[in-house]
This record gives sequence, structure tokens and C-alpha cells, in this order.
Amino acid sequence: MATFATVDLVKYLCTCEKKFPICRLYLCKHCLKLRCIDCVQHEVDTPYCPNCLEIMPAQEAKLKKNRCSNCFDCPVCGHTLMTRASGHISPNPEDPNKSVTKKTYYLACGFCRWNTRDINMLDQTVATGNWPMLENPHVKRINNLLENYKLMAQVEKADRERKKYVKRRSHLYLQDKFNLSPSVMKRKGLSSFSSLSLKEGDKTIEDLEPSVPVESFDPLPNDYYTQPAALEKTTKLVHRLSVPEFQPEDVSKLHPINKHLIMKKSLRCRECEHNLSKSDFNPCSIKFKIQLTALHWVPEVRIMTPSTFTYNKETLVTLTMSNPSVFNTTVTLSQIENETDVDYCTAKVELPKKELVLASRDEPSMHVYEDSSQAHEFKDDPKLIVFRKGNKIGFVVKVTPVVPQGDVKICFLLKHEFRNTTVAALQSESKEPEIKWLEHKVYLCLGTI
Amino acid sequence: MSAPKAPVNPNLKIMAGALVCEDCELIGDITIGARTVIHPKARIIAEAGPIIIGEFNIIEELVTITNKSSTDANSGKVLIIGNNNVFEVGCHVEAIRIGDHNVIESKAKVGSKVEISNGCIVGCGCILNMNEALPENTVVYGDKCERRIQRERPPAQMLQIDFLTRILPNYHYLMKPNLNVNVRAPVKK
Repeated sequence: MATFATVDLVKYLCTCEKKFPICRLYLCKHCLKLRCIDCVQHEVDTPYCPNCLEIMPAQEAKLKKNRCSNCFDCPVCGHTLMTRASGHISPNPEDPNKSVTKKTYYLACGFCRWNTRDINMLDQTVATGNWPMLENPHVKRINNLLENYKLMAQVEKADRERKKYVKRRSHLYLQDKFNLSPSVMKRKGLSSFSSLSLKEGDKTIEDLEPSVPVESFDPLPNDYYTQPAALEKTTKLVHRLSVPEFQPEDVSKLHPINKHLIMKKSLRCRECEHNLSKSDFNPCSIKFKIQLTALHWVPEVRIMTPSTFTYNKETLVTLTMSNPSVFNTTVTLSQIENETDVDYCTAKVELPKKELVLASRDEPSMHVYEDSSQAHEFKDDPKLIVFRKGNKIGFVVKVTPVVPQGDVKICFLLKHEFRNTTVAALQSESKEPEIKWLEHKVYLCLGTI
Repeated sequence: MSAPKAPVNPNLKIMAGALVCEDCELIGDITIGARTVIHPKARIIAEAGPIIIGEFNIIEELVTITNKSSTDANSGKVLIIGNNNVFEVGCHVEAIRIGDHNVIESKAKVGSKVEISNGCIVGCGCILNMNEALPENTVVYGDKCERRIQRERPPAQMLQIDFLTRILPNYHYLMKPNLNVNVRAPVKK
């Protein structure tokens, strides 16, 4: 858990020159480079509802405005609403002497206890669906505008094609913005004459009635100044902004909000176009088909204990390093030669000169307590390596701050062996996976003086 | 399980039909109404004045109800708790007065200057410590103790009381009621 909790003390330099904690980085096994969330390509796999876990195809999701039709959020506090059943006794229409129990359903929030009866919404006879929807008062105008933008985009595209692809790529975004269907985009590739198919008389841009700017507001009614504010009847800004199309001002106008869909996302390396992360298709599953997080391949450096520092005085700092790989891994640490950036390096550091050998990660034996049997196996220098336990070692670095005050930051180059198991299995029949050496720049913030 | 014999509190009045587990701490002048259920490990302390608890209340484990004098004016006043209230696990109540049909959820804290009317819900972990009277059907919820007024008061927990009166005697020693229903003390409103 420490990996995720104290995320910003130890950072690795991504290939794109940004610094991230290791649990936020990916290692592309094909380029053998670190990738971060900002330098990979994000792709939407499947939109799905986080409550009912129903998968919705992307097109359908777009039509439904990325919202689930069966699940609702509380308009007051935002929690998911539950369907509650209540019995309701009414006289039997066939035999007036008998009565039948009818089950009716309403929506209720388990957190703030809001329910649909609060706003006098009628109970439903079926448990799911069928809830009355509010009609957006501006839907006609919005559709009109969209229609016009689409036409405008087509006209613009036609113009561009006449100019023989002056800028080929730039208008892709434009089409996307105005919601042009993919088939229209494909047609572009077929022939440059496709613009002719858009005949002038087909559809013309309608004269949109321009929107009217609001020039002046009515003055506030006198009640506003004389009556005490009814805070319990007025909605808050959050309530209004969560439904921008209605913006209810009175609590009695609050309406259940259709739940937003979320999506399964996959990440792709921009250079080699291989997947870095791909989740299972099924929304119920939290597994990944492909997950190349750097945490699984790159040795993780951590600060063991906080130390106190004095200006220009050497302090011993214990760092730990753990090996995620199933092979013994050799690591060397070296100075970054021309690191002059004072922002990330405010101390001189003396690193272990010898190679450090990290034992393999062996999941079953990790939970068994073993005492120092490994020390003999690896012939460790006790001055250098403080302890060794399973796949983890603790080693000492000497840090001398060169600034009188502020944060003590050091950086070094971490060079480690990497055995590419998957690619080796694909490419050759040889048993031993090929050993590659990878280099990463590591930046640590050790504390303040 | 051994029966911890607490020293008998001479000022404790338990109506017939109430279910009070022996393993709870009842200090001072306390009256407990019929069909009220008090779980083990609850603490009711009548420190500054008597506490009168009405009927059909549920007081769960680790609940602390104290009659505390916040000001000299309140000293010696009776803390009256109405009917059909639910005090959930670990809540802490020092209120001046509590009406009917309220729910004080887990770990909520009601300070010694608060007056709770009827049908209110104090949500989990919410803290009320201002000098105020909660209007009827108020819901306090969330980490910012936001408020709203709900239309209906929370329903009475009859089924739960029936269930508890059946189950609790199987596992806990009970205090014996010492007042008959017919001569019950008037529950003031």
C-alpha cells in the first residue's frame, strides 16, 4: 500500500521527461521504455453502467447521452438511488368485498433519505424502467443547432477538398466535433470527387434564428429583501449544476438523475502501437488481459526511514529496493552526470559502487519468516547492505545537502537487468530469456533540512 | 457467561414490557418506558438531572445518553426522550430534549445544547454542537452535516423491536422491570 499512499516521494523519469511515481508508469515491453499516462494513447473499450454493470455499445451510449436508463443518482447528495417496494391495499375490481395488495415501487436514497415521494412523483407498478423523464425545454433548439453545425462541417470539408488537402489532418477533429458519422469520413478517402455528391440543392444551411442576448434582468422581488431566506426549500449550486438543462431552483423540482456511464479504457503505446493496458471485457471483472505497469518489471526504490539532514554534512540514508521479477536481478546505481537542475537535485549523493543483486520474487515463500539465510548466499557487504529479506534489500547511500535549507532531493541512474519473458517466448525457442539492461532516472525527495 | 451483578440502582424505574440488558450502565434517576429495548454495553447517565425514556425506543450497543448541564439554567432539568426513537451503535447524545420518531445514526454526536423535535435523522458521524432546535423532519447527512427537510418521518421499527425482544433474552441476562404498566409515570411532552 505504501506504493500508492506516499506516491510523490520517489519518482521515475518517464521517456517523455515527466516524473511519476513508479505505480503510475507503464513499461512497454516492445520498445522497452517507460510510458506515463500523458504519453500513451487512451482508447475507450466499452461504456458500462457502474451500478447495474450493463454494457452499452458506444453508439447507443452516445444516443443515450452516456447515461444509464435504469439507474439513478440522488439529486440531493449524488448517491445511487435504491428501488423500494411498498405494499398498497386497494379494493379488488372484480369482488368489492375482497381487497388486493398491490406492490408499488419508489426510489429512495439510503444516505440522505431523499425519495421520489418527496417531490410527489407517483409510485410505479414495475420495479425497473418506466420512470417519467423530464423533457429538455431546449431540445428543439439544440437539435437545430447541431443539424446546422453538421451541414456547416460538410460545407467546410468540401471547401477543403477543393483546395487539395492543404492540411490533411487538421479537420479530422472538426468532423469529430460536429458528430459526423464515420461513413462520411470514409467517403473522403474514396475519391476527391466525393465533394460533388454534396449537391448544392440537397440541403442548405437554414437561416437559424439568432439567439437573443439577455439585456436586462427583472429587479429582485421585494420578498427577497423582506422575507427570511427559506434555505431548506432552495437548491444549492451543486444541485443546479448537476442538471444543467433544468437547473431547478426549488427542492420540489429535483428529479432523479440518470446515472453516468463509465468506461473500460485501454492504453496503447504511441510508438509501437502495442497495448500497455487492456482490461477484461466484462464489467464485473476487475482483471486485466494486458497490464504492463512498471511496478511488475522495474525494481522499486523506497525510502526506509526519515532522516535528519544538516547543511554540508554527510548523512546516511537507508533506501530499500525490491525486485518484482522472478529472476535474480543485478542492479547498478550511478550518478547522473550532467544533472544541473537544482529543482531536482539539492544534495550530493554517494552511491554503492558495487553491483547490487536482488533476489527473485517468490510469492509463496514471501510470507515465511526467514532469518539471514540469504546473506550467505549473496555474500553481502554489511556496510553497504543493511538487510536482505526475500526480494528486498536495504542499502545505504551517503547524502550531503548542498543547500542551506529546503527539501533534500537526490537523483541517480538505476540500471537493471530485464528479462523479457513474453517476447522471448514468442520469438525464439531458446529456454533462457534474453537479458537487456534498462536505465531509469530516479528522483527522491528525502525530507527537509 | 457469568452474570455481572451490578449494584442495584435505587432510582432506576423499568416499565413492564421493556427489555433492558443487564450488561449496560445505568447511572442516576432513569425511567425506561414499556417496549423499549436497551442493548448490552449502552450507557445512560443521569448526571445533571433525571432521564425519562418513552416507549418503543431502541438503544443499541455503545450508545451514550447523558443528561448534562450545559448551562446553569438547564441544571436539574429532566431529559425526556419520546417514543419510537432509534439510537444506533455508538452514538453520543446529550440533547436537552428528544421528541418522537427520530433516528440518531451510528457514531453521531448530539451536543448538550441541541433540542431535537420529531422525525429527525442525524446521519452517521454527524456532529451537532450548536445551540439550536432541529425543526421537524430534518435530515442531517454527509461529512459537511448538510441538512434537508424530508416529507415523511422515518417509520417506526416495530418489527425490529419484536425481533429483539425475542432474540436478546436468549443470549443476555435482563434487568427485571420494577414498575407496572398501569402505574407508569406520565411521559411529559
